[in-house]
Formats: sequence, structure tokens, C-alpha cells
Amino acid sequence: MDGGLLWILVESSVKIALFFGVMLTTVAYMTLVERRVSAWIQDRRGPNRVGPFGLLQPMADGLKFLFKEAITPQHAHRAVYLLAPVIIFVPSMVTFSVIPFGPSIEAFGRVIPLQIAVVDNGVLIILAFASMGVYGVALAGWSSNNKYSLMGGLRSSAQLISYELAMGVAIVGVLMSAGSLRLTDIVAHQAAHGWNILWQLPGFLIFMTAAFAETNRLPFDLPEAETELVAGYHTEYSGMRFSMFYMAEYANMITAAALAATLYLGGYHVPGLAALGLSEKLAAAIQVLAFALKMGLFLFIYVWVRWTLPRFRYDQLMNLGWKVLLPAGLLHIVWVAFVVLMGWA
Amino acid sequence: MPVDFFLVIAALLFTIGSVGVLIRRNAIVMLMCVELMLNAVNLTFVAFAQEGQRMTGHVFAFFVMTVAAAEAAVGLAIVIALFRRRRTTDVDNASLMRW
Amino acid sequence: MNLLTGLILVVVLFALLRVFRPANPLLTAILPGLVAVGLLAAYHQDLLRLEFWAGAVGFVAILSALLIVMHPNPMVSVLFLILNLFCIALFYLMLRAEVLAALQVIVYAGAIMVLFVFVIMLLNLPAEEGLGAGGGIQRWAAVLLGSGFAALLVFVLRHRLGRPYFEPGSFVQEFGSARDLGMLLFGRYLFAFEAASVLLVAAMVGAVILAKRRLQ
Repeated sequence: MDGGLLWILVESSVKIALFFGVMLTTVAYMTLVERRVSAWIQDRRGPNRVGPFGLLQPMADGLKFLFKEAITPQHAHRAVYLLAPVIIFVPSMVTFSVIPFGPSIEAFGRVIPLQIAVVDNGVLIILAFASMGVYGVALAGWSSNNKYSLMGGLRSSAQLISYELAMGVAIVGVLMSAGSLRLTDIVAHQAAHGWNILWQLPGFLIFMTAAFAETNRLPFDLPEAETELVAGYHTEYSGMRFSMFYMAEYANMITAAALAATLYLGGYHVPGLAALGLSEKLAAAIQVLAFALKMGLFLFIYVWVRWTLPRFRYDQLMNLGWKVLLPAGLLHIVWVAFVVLMGWA
Repeated sequence: MPVDFFLVIAALLFTIGSVGVLIRRNAIVMLMCVELMLNAVNLTFVAFAQEGQRMTGHVFAFFVMTVAAAEAAVGLAIVIALFRRRRTTDVDNASLMRW
Repeated sequence: MNLLTGLILVVVLFALLRVFRPANPLLTAILPGLVAVGLLAAYHQDLLRLEFWAGAVGFVAILSALLIVMHPNPMVSVLFLILNLFCIALFYLMLRAEVLAALQVIVYAGAIMVLFVFVIMLLNLPAEEGLGAGGGIQRWAAVLLGSGFAALLVFVLRHRLGRPYFEPGSFVQEFGSARDLGMLLFGRYLFAFEAASVLLVAAMVGAVILAKRRLQ
């Protein structure tokens, strides 16, 4: 193995370990954040007994899931039943790996981009693996051999593919203005011409709505609504397998938040940082922190909306996806095309 | 990367798809084997595009994908309509052009 | 190259031996895999060369294609077809067709196959007994003719005469990039592009009408 390949392997492994370590910790603490923020909204305390301010609560939850009995239904198709939680978890990880967290830094004599996979068509990969996530839900519903799971899986898959279209149409607006499929180019364009949220507000709203539907969060969480379908597609899962679904939902949320921050809020760009003339490493650290803060803002909005809005009924949900968001997205594309042709952005 | 390798793989996939259409009786599996054949043809197009360094093969593969999507949608709608009438997806059941 | 064709032949022969017995899918997948790994280890293939990975992906593609045809449960056939489509997307990446690889996953594996999964879930199709294949003589005839056809195709493709139509034109960005594909689609092939969109609308309307329940 020559030196170049070895260096690439080391760099990638360190980045993967770091990013996914951070992501999994964030997933664990999102459960706590959700419970504390929902408690604050509902004027009560959240979990604050386990450890200082309840900070060890995710450990307790994890231990609980580990010790629960994992029951497999008798006539479930075993191979697909075990595969479904994996299929739902992997796409969010892959999507996470093409999102840039900060500018390239110079270290150890090399230029290190703060992005696990530097590809020319990052946006297409994101769309591709968002489509893959549908299978985890559908197969979980089918393989459980339970009519509630089947209905929940069917409904949820239909919801996911409908809102994929709306999300894609909103992303096309961003692509038209940036002129490239690379996420670093999109961030660079926003750094030069102002954040996309300022002049692509309709696209931003469409994207956020579609992201809420894609991650199965309220107000679009009918497929896993407790009051309607027992627990939807993950009814028959228990123990660690159920916690995989739970974690996958939060992982999807985190990826969607990172994506929204990159596409509309300028990614890791901090306005006015270049004028300060700081050292390169310090500037990079500040930009990574800014990106984390933007992601945190979106995660807070996710939790906030969940505990504020009531749930959509299924036909209202499909109506919204096809008859409202898709035409609005197409009009938004016309608007963005007009602005780009006029040269205003 | 010799292009011949991809052509051989595409030929084998095409054959497996066509044998599948002949052997299986379930309408949905037959549609899947047709999709397999279309993919083998796409792979041939892209392999030749790489060899001649022209993007025409990519454009053709794009259109084949579009047509395959349209055909899968209509084919599956037909299968659903057939199933509602006969409660089975067995194509041997639908061999008479009546009822 | 000879090794890879040999591997493919091994898989095909093994599958043919098993096609007339009730398929135990796990066994069908594990045994040829072990044989292939054994052969590869015997020849000490270098894991870093692209040829090795192309061969490995080709092996998985052919194996999954055989399992699509051989497995009695239609949902499992769909899963193997998705695996096959992923392998073909990897082939596109090896052939420097980046946009097509992503489009393959988005359109084929992410939308068309979801449609298949929907229909199987809606109709609640069970696994079939005895593969749902035709009568005895029909099976043998299909397999024999299929092998003959495969041999013919491989022979023709390997011994093709003449040179390909080679035109190393200048590319706007790069061979296989989105920009070049877009230039062609909206430039020279614009009419076909618009006709394809009309086709999709027709297919959409047709599918809705065919699958709608008659409101009595």
C-alpha cells in the first residue's frame, strides 16, 4: 500500500469515527432534549432525576431497551423482519456523510475537507438515499405479518414518496441559483450572494414541510400514531429493534436539519468572519460551531412544532403533498428562474 | 477497465431476464424480469458510451429509464385490475380473451 | 478476465442444478459465495485493483438476478431486484457515468421498485408453491434455449468487428457529468425529452383509470 492510499484511509477513518460518534451521541441526547423541551412547552419538568439535570437519562433508556425481551412474531418473514431497521437507519448515515461541516483546513501538510465523501453530485446522492429510506418502513410493515403494521407501512410509504417530490422541487430552486450539485459550491454561493432563505422563502417553507413529512414527525406522523394504528409499522418490534426505529427517526431528523442548514441557511458560513482576520484553524472552528448552532436551531424547531400542532388526517396529508406543495414548488421554480435570469442573485 | 466485461455481464442479465419471463407465471415477477432486461440494455448503452467517449449512450439510457417507469406503472395497474376480477395474479388464468 | 468468466459460469451452473428443486434461498446464496471466495483466495487477487471489485459486483449482480427468477416469494424477488439495481448503479460508477448512477438509484431503485412493493403489499400476495413455473418440458426448453441465447450473445459481443463510433468531442464539464447530460437533453434531444414527459402524463392518467375502483 503506497503512502497516498494509507493516508486517505486514515483520514477517512478518523472523520467517520468522529462524525458518527458525534451523530450517535446527538441522537441519544435528542431523546432527552425532546422530553425536556416538551415539558417546558407543557409547563412541567422533564426527566431530571437521573444524573445532574437528567443528563444520564439516555443511558437509562438505552439500558432499558437492551434488557427488554426481543419478541419475534411467529409467522413473520424473519430475514426481512431483521433487515428492516437496518434499511431505515443506513440512508440517514450516508446522507450525513456528504454534508460539509466546515471549510477545508490545512493540517499535516495536506488539505483536509471537513466532509467525509467529497463527490461532485452530493445533492443527487442525498435524494437517492432519501428514496431508499422508504423501504425500511414498507418492509417493516410487510414482514410483521400484522394488518395494522401493513396498513401503517403502506400509508407511511405513500406519504414518504409523495413528499420526496416536493422536497426535490424545492431543492431544484437552490440548485438553479448555485449552478452546481456540489454542496460546498452551494455554501460558497450563499457566502457570496446572501443566504438562500432571504429570497427563496417559499422554497424554504416547502422544504421544511417536506422534511417534516419525510422524517415522519408531527404534524405528519399518522403512520406511527398511537391513537390510530397501535404503533403503525413498528408495532411488532420490541427491545433493541424498536430502539433502532426510534434512533433512526432522530438520525433522519438530524440529517434533515443539517441539510436545511446547508441549503438555506448558508451552511458553515458566518457573515463577517473574513473581515476579522483570524487564524485559519480558529476560523474553521468557529464555522463548525456556527453550523452546529444552525442545526440545533432546526432541531429545536422540529421539537417545537411537534408539541404545538395537531396531527394531519391521512387524506389531508396527501392533499397537501400533491395539490398544494407540488404546484407551489413549480411556481417557486419559475420565480427562481426569473431571478437567476435577471442576474439579481 | 475493459468494456467487454460489462457487455458480457449485460448479456447474461438479459438472458436471465428473458428466461424468467418464460418460466414464471406470476404477472408481477414477469414484470420484474422485464425490468431486469431493460437494465441490461441500459448497461450495454453506457458501456458503449464509455468506449466511444460519447454521451449519446447516457441519453438513451435516461430515456429507457423514463419509459420503463411509465411501463411499470401501467403494467402494475393492469395487474391490479386483473387481480380484482380473478383474485389471482397467475397469467395462465388470463389466457382466454374473454371475461 | 478468465477467472471472472469462470466464476460466472460456476454460479450459472450451480443455479441450473438447483432450479428444479425447491429453493432454499439461504443455501443457494451461501454455497456459490463460498466457492467464489475460495477460487479468489486461491488466485490471490489483489483487493485494490478495480478489476477485482468489478468482478465481485458482477458476481453479486448475476447471483441476485438468478434469485429473482428462482425465489418463490415475490417480495423477496423484489428485494433481490433492488440489490441488482444497486449493482448496476455501481457499474455505472465504474463506467464514469456518475449522474446516471444517481438517477438509477433515485428512479429505478427508489421509485419504480417502491411501486412494486406497494402492489405486492396491497394485493397481499403469498409465496408460491413450486415456483409457479410452467410444466416440466417448458422449464427445460426455456433453460436450454436461454443458455444457447446467452452463449450467442457473449460470442457476438466478444468478437465484434469494426471499431466503435469514436468521437472524442469536447465536453462542457466532464464525461458523464450532469452538465453534459443536461446540454444534450435540452439541446439535441429536446423533442425526445418533451415527448417523454407527454408519455409520463399519459402513463399517469392510464394507471389512475385502470386501478380505480368502479364506483357503483
